[in-house]
Amino acid sequence: MTLLRTRGLTAGYGPVTVLHGLDLEVAEGEIVVILGANGAGKTTTMRAISGTIPRAGSVEFEGHDVHKSAPDAIVRGGIAQVPQGRGTFPELSVEDNLKVGAFVRRDGGGTIGTDVLRWFEVFPRLAERRSQRAGSLSGGEQQMLAIARALMSRPKLLLCDEPSMGLAPLITQELFQVLERLNKEEGLSVLLVEQNANLAMHMADRVYLLETGRIVASGSAAELSADDSIRKAYLGF
Amino acid sequence: MKSLFTIKSGGAASWAMRLAVAAVLAALMLWVPTRGSDSLIEVCTTAFTLMAAALSLNLLLGYAGQISLGHSAFFGIGTYTTAVMVTRWGWSPFHTLPVAFVLAFVVGVLVSLPALRIKGVYLALVTLALGMVFPQFIKWKKLSWLTGGAKGINDTGFKFTKDNPTYEIFGWNPWGNLRGQNVKPFYFWVGAIIVLVVYLICRGVVKSRVGRSLVAIRDNSTAAAVMGVNLPVTKGIVFGLSAAMCALPGSLSAIRTGTVTADTQLLTVAGSITFLVIMVVGGAGSLWGPIIGAAVYQFIIERTGGWTEPDAIPALFRPFFGWSKTAPGGGLFAIALILLMFVAPLGLVGLWRQHSVRLCRVVPKPAGTTTISVMAAAPAAVDETHTA
Amino acid sequence: MELFLQRTVDGLSEGSVYALLALGLVIIYRGTGHLNFAHGEMALFCAYAVYQFGEWGIPIGIAVVMGMGVGFLVGATAEVALVRPVARKSAFAVFIVTIGLFQFLNWLDGAIWGGQQLPNTGVGSKQVSYPSLFPAADDDFVTIFGAEITIKSLGTIGLVLVLSAVLFFVFNRTKLGLAMRAVASNADSAKLVGIRTNTVLMFSWGIAAAIGALGGVVTAGNAQSVSQSLMFSVFIYASAAATLGGFDSPLGAVVGGLAIGVIQNLTAGYVEWVGQEMKVGVSFLVIVAVLLVKPSGLFGTAKVERV
Repeated sequence: MTLLRTRGLTAGYGPVTVLHGLDLEVAEGEIVVILGANGAGKTTTMRAISGTIPRAGSVEFEGHDVHKSAPDAIVRGGIAQVPQGRGTFPELSVEDNLKVGAFVRRDGGGTIGTDVLRWFEVFPRLAERRSQRAGSLSGGEQQMLAIARALMSRPKLLLCDEPSMGLAPLITQELFQVLERLNKEEGLSVLLVEQNANLAMHMADRVYLLETGRIVASGSAAELSADDSIRKAYLGF
Repeated sequence: MKSLFTIKSGGAASWAMRLAVAAVLAALMLWVPTRGSDSLIEVCTTAFTLMAAALSLNLLLGYAGQISLGHSAFFGIGTYTTAVMVTRWGWSPFHTLPVAFVLAFVVGVLVSLPALRIKGVYLALVTLALGMVFPQFIKWKKLSWLTGGAKGINDTGFKFTKDNPTYEIFGWNPWGNLRGQNVKPFYFWVGAIIVLVVYLICRGVVKSRVGRSLVAIRDNSTAAAVMGVNLPVTKGIVFGLSAAMCALPGSLSAIRTGTVTADTQLLTVAGSITFLVIMVVGGAGSLWGPIIGAAVYQFIIERTGGWTEPDAIPALFRPFFGWSKTAPGGGLFAIALILLMFVAPLGLVGLWRQHSVRLCRVVPKPAGTTTISVMAAAPAAVDETHTA
Repeated sequence: MELFLQRTVDGLSEGSVYALLALGLVIIYRGTGHLNFAHGEMALFCAYAVYQFGEWGIPIGIAVVMGMGVGFLVGATAEVALVRPVARKSAFAVFIVTIGLFQFLNWLDGAIWGGQQLPNTGVGSKQVSYPSLFPAADDDFVTIFGAEITIKSLGTIGLVLVLSAVLFFVFNRTKLGLAMRAVASNADSAKLVGIRTNTVLMFSWGIAAAIGALGGVVTAGNAQSVSQSLMFSVFIYASAAATLGGFDSPLGAVVGGLAIGVIQNLTAGYVEWVGQEMKVGVSFLVIVAVLLVKPSGLFGTAKVERV
C-alpha cells in the first residue's frame, strides 16, 4: 500500500524554484533512497514533504492530501523528519531532546518514558549521556539522538536528510543498520536522501536519482546498478 | 517601470533641475526671515536645530551602522559647554561653538572605544544608558558648582547692544543684526549656517574614502577589517564627528533660549529618540533624509501641539484625537515609526526615490563615474548582534 | 552593622523589582532573540491599568491579576502584530518597532490618564495613594539583628522568589516550558517535532509582559504613585541586571537584579559622593564593564561569532 505519494511537487525559496514537479512514491515498509549531488534539491524535497516550506503540487499521505497542512499536523499524521545537520536542541539535555520528540503524542508520560528507555537501549551511548547538554555530544552521537528523537513520535514514515554527512563510515554503517532493523522488525518506512551512494544503496528497496530538481531515473537498487550509463554517470562506479 | 521623463545625469536637463530646486530653496530661505511671521521664523530655527542633530546621528547610524540612543548627551555637551563658558568664564557666546565642537569630538572618540567591542542592540543599550546618565550627571550635587545642578544656568544668551556692528546692503537686512533688532531672523540664519556646516561635513565624509569604509563596516565589519579598513581609527573619527556635529545645535540652543536646565527635552533620552524618529521618518542613510524629516516633524508638532482640547482640533481629526488628554504629536510619530518599518523602511526619501522614478528617471553616465549607492540602509547595524 | 543589613535588604528589595523586569527581558530574548525596548512601558501601562481598576473599586489582589492579564494581552499582541511581521526584514526594523512601541505606550498613558502623577485628588482620584500589595503603614516592619526591615521589602523579595520557583517549575516540568525551551534553542527543529512555534513565541512575549506588569505594579506601589516617567530608569536597571546575569538566563536575571539592587544601594549609601542621582551611572558602568569583559554575563551562554 502506498504510504506517501507526491505528484508534481514544486517548491523553492522566494523567486527561485528548486523542485520542478517531482513524482515520488514510498510504499509501506519500504526504504526509498533519493540520490543527488549538491544543489540537486534533496533538502528542499524533505522540507517540502514535511511542510516547513510552502509547496505546490500534491502530497498524499495514507491517501489524504496534506500539501496544505502545517508542519505540526504532518508530524501528528505520522511523518517525522531528521533534518540535515542533526538539528538537535543544543541547550536541552539528551533526555529532554527525546521527550520533546514526543511532543505531538497524546498518550501519557508513562508510555513516553518507556519509549525513552527503549531508545537508550538501542543507542547505549545516549544513555550514558542522558543528562548532558545535547550540544556537547559528538557528531555521530547527535545524529543518533536526532534519529531517536524523530522516532519518539512513533512515525509511520521517517524522512532522513543526509544522515551520513560529517560522520565516519563506521558510525554511518551502524546507523543504517539500526534503520534497517527497524524497517524489518517494525515496518518503519524510510525516505532517505543522500549524496553518498555506496552506503545507501545497500539498504534501499528503491532509488530515485535527483538532478537539479527533477527525477532523472528510478528503479530498484539492483536495476540501477545494473544499468551501466546510470551507474557511471551518477553512482560513480 | 515606465518613466514620464528620462534625463541624463550630468547633462543639461539634470543641471536645469538642480538649479530649479536650488532657486526654490533660496527663495524660501529669503522669504521666511523677511516676510514670514515671527513664530514661523522661530519654528524654522527650531527645525534647523533638529536637522543638524539628526544629520549628525545619521552619519553614525545611517551610514556607519552604529546605533546611538545617546546623542542627546552630545547635544547637551554643546549646550552646557556654552552655558558654562559664557556665564562662568565670560566668553562671547559664539566663540564657544568651536570649543563645544572639539570637546564633543573628544567625548565621541572616547565612546567609540567600547563601541569597538559592543555592537548592535547592546550598543543601543549602552548609549541609552549614556543618554539617561547625562542629565543626572549634570544634576549631580558634586558638579553643581559648574553646572548649576538642578537649577540650571541662566543668562547664556548673546548680548545684543546698540554698539554692535550691523550689516546692511542698501538698507536691506534679511539677516537681522547684532543690535537687538530683528533678533529672530538672526538666529534663523545662524541655525541655517549650522545646518549647512553639518551637511557639508557629512557630505565630505560620505563621499570620501572614510565614507566608503563606513559602508563596509556597516555591512560586515569583520570583512572590512580583513580588507584593511582601520576599524578603531575609522570608528573613532565617525563617532567623534557625529558627536561634535550634534553639539553645535546644542550650543545654539543655549544661546538662543538664554537658559539651560538638564530637564530640557532635547538633553534627555526623549531627545535622542526624537532625533532617531526624525532620522528614520526622513530616511536613514541619505543626506537629505534628516533635513526633510526635521521639517516634517516640526511642522506636525507645531500644528498639533495645541490639540489638547477637543475644540482646538479641526473637525476632521476630532474623532481620532478628541479623547486624548495630551497633544497627539508623540503618539503620531510613534505610530509613524512603526508603520514605516512595514511600509517604507527607508523613510520619506526612500519612498521618494522609489516612486519618483515613475515621473523622471535619471540615467547614469557611462562607465567610470558612478558613486556608491548607500540605499541599503541601517538594517545591517543591528544584525551585527546576531552574528556575535 | 544594622545599617549595612538594612541597606542590603533594601537593595535586595529594589533589586527584586529589577529582577522581575529582567526576567521578562530574558524570556523574550531567549525565546525570540530580540531586546524589547518597550518592556518598561508595557509594565507602566499595566500599572496605570491597575490604578484604574482601583478607581473602580476592585481590590488590589484581583486588580493585580487583571493587570497581569492586560500585560499578557499587550505582550502577545505586540509580538503577533508588530514584531513577527517585521522580524523577517531585519533586526534593525524590530529595534525601531520596539522604540516606536515605547513611545506609543508612553504617549498613550498620558493621553488616557493625563500627564500628572496619579492618584491625584486634583483630577478626582478616589484613591489616596497607589495601592500596595503589601502592608505598608509606618509601623509595618520587623526587626532583624537590630535593623528595621519593612514588610514591603520582605514581601517584594518573597514575591520574586516565589515567582522564580513557579517559572522554574513551568520551564522545566511542563510541556509548555519544554516547548518554550525548545523554540529558544532551535526554532527550526521545534517545528519539525510538531511544536507550533508561532504560538510559543506569542506566549513568550505574553508571559514576559505579564511578569513585567507585576514589576510595574510593585514599582508604583513603592513610589506610591504612577506617572509617565516611572519606568524609565527601572528599565535601565533591569537591562543592567539582564546584562550582568546573561540575557539568555532566567537565573541570571534574578541574580543580576538582586545584585544590581544591592550594589546600587550600598554604593549610594556608603560612597558619599555618588548620591542618589548617580544610581543610573552605576548601572551604566555595570553594563559597559560586563559587555567589555564577559559579554555573555554571569550565567549566559557565549555565542560563537559567525563571520
